Amino acid sequence: MTPTISCDDLAVTLPGASGPVHILRGVTLAVEKAEFVSILGTSGSGKTTLLRVLGGLLPASGGTVRCDDTAISGPPEGVVTVFQDYAHSLLPWRTVRRNVALGIEARLPKSERDERVDEALTMVGLLDRAEEYPWRLSGGMQQRVQIARALATRPRVLLMDEPFGALDAMTKASLQDQLQQVQELTGTTIVFVTHDVEEAVYLSDRLVVLNGSPADIGLSLEIPLPRPRHQITTKERPDYLELRHRVYEALGHTVGEPARG
Amino acid sequence: MKREKERGGTPVRGLLPLILLLGLWELTGDPASPYFPPPSTWVDGLRPLVDGDKLLPAIGQTALTFLLGLSIATVVGAVVGTLVGASRPIDRALSPSLEFLRALPAASLVPVAALVLGYTTQMKLVVVVLPATWPILLTCRTARRTLSPVLLDTPRTLGLSRWHRTTKILTPALTPAVLLGVRVAAPLALIITLLVEIVTRVDGLGAVLGAAQASFLSAQVYGLLTIAGVLGFLVNWVVTRAETAVSRRMRGTT
Repeated sequence: MTPTISCDDLAVTLPGASGPVHILRGVTLAVEKAEFVSILGTSGSGKTTLLRVLGGLLPASGGTVRCDDTAISGPPEGVVTVFQDYAHSLLPWRTVRRNVALGIEARLPKSERDERVDEALTMVGLLDRAEEYPWRLSGGMQQRVQIARALATRPRVLLMDEPFGALDAMTKASLQDQLQQVQELTGTTIVFVTHDVEEAVYLSDRLVVLNGSPADIGLSLEIPLPRPRHQITTKERPDYLELRHRVYEALGHTVGEPARG
Repeated sequence: MKREKERGGTPVRGLLPLILLLGLWELTGDPASPYFPPPSTWVDGLRPLVDGDKLLPAIGQTALTFLLGLSIATVVGAVVGTLVGASRPIDRALSPSLEFLRALPAASLVPVAALVLGYTTQMKLVVVVLPATWPILLTCRTARRTLSPVLLDTPRTLGLSRWHRTTKILTPALTPAVLLGVRVAAPLALIITLLVEIVTRVDGLGAVLGAAQASFLSAQVYGLLTIAGVLGFLVNWVVTRAETAVSRRMRGTT
């Protein structure tokens, strides 16, 4: 299988207040079609930077980034990023329906556009809120609107930057399950950035841990847990706990010592 | 609905002191006074202008200069402000100069403009446009500078063209800031319009007002002053209402 999206020997250097800052160095990652890959790391480890480069929103300083074997310069077609900051990503002057239509309204005739919007809103369970304004919805619903907007473009790759990071635990769990259903339904490739170990293990087919400064990939781990996964039963499996243990270790936590804040 | 009333209700009750004062003036004023003729004489003072068909054209001239000047200032201020705010280096390089030019008293431009352009309508426009541009330019610059990067990344990742990014994202996102600037600039533009007319006597309400003062037609002066006051009040009311309505819609606050 050829990878859908990949980077080879990627380096990113950004200008900082006191000279250039090396964020990423020698990052090589290839994501297969319909795969769910999580990128884990402590805060400031360059996860978001890596995702922005994969999404074509930030140019690489070294190495290559490819989407379907084509080097990218700018956001590739069919690759859509979902941001953590849903409040600033949704347009407050547009209704939910018109927000979801933003990515397709210039390309598709009205009838097809409406059909796609309805389909995307149905997938995230918000069809009945289509005529509301986003700021009248809860945080979890707003994030679902943003996901629906990405889905309406029928993306091949969905890049998600800590999409559930700002949500409470219960909303988070229900959105995780919704995301799994959506992926099962659409076969979309998903690259998912998070700092939540449980979330990464629960959702992923494979996860990679970024560490060091400049960061590179420290651990790449297959997650062979059976699907569909379940919030309670999957998280009680010994192999789930074993994987979770290994990821915590890779992030620098040691067993036996109390965790530091 | 209640909120609507609180905010938008015309402040008629608030005008009561002014009306009382005018009433008192009317009762105690001496119609023959060369300095403080009572309000009832003001209408008579204006009659020659109305009969001579001079008042309406003068108001028209003033309104035209004001509206045209404000429109040019809005477009220039919004475009330049957005461009300056979009780039850190340009912003840093230009900010001190912009602050200096903003602080330049608008009235001091009149002699320079008259020197360069003569006593013409263009001169009036230039003198109005320059000071009215700053509030719009500066609010627009700040708004562009503080725009969320996520809001700018969103249309890129969805594959919107540069044109659509400008029309569908940038323009609506900056409209409240532009209107806030207009709200500050509009009264300023009206003041400068009248001032330049009074000083240079080139057309308009200000020119008529200046001429009346020079001819010691004090009742007429007060009458024209009232018209200018009403004009200013209307402009302020319209701009404030528009700004409030649009920013509520665009920012999506309840």
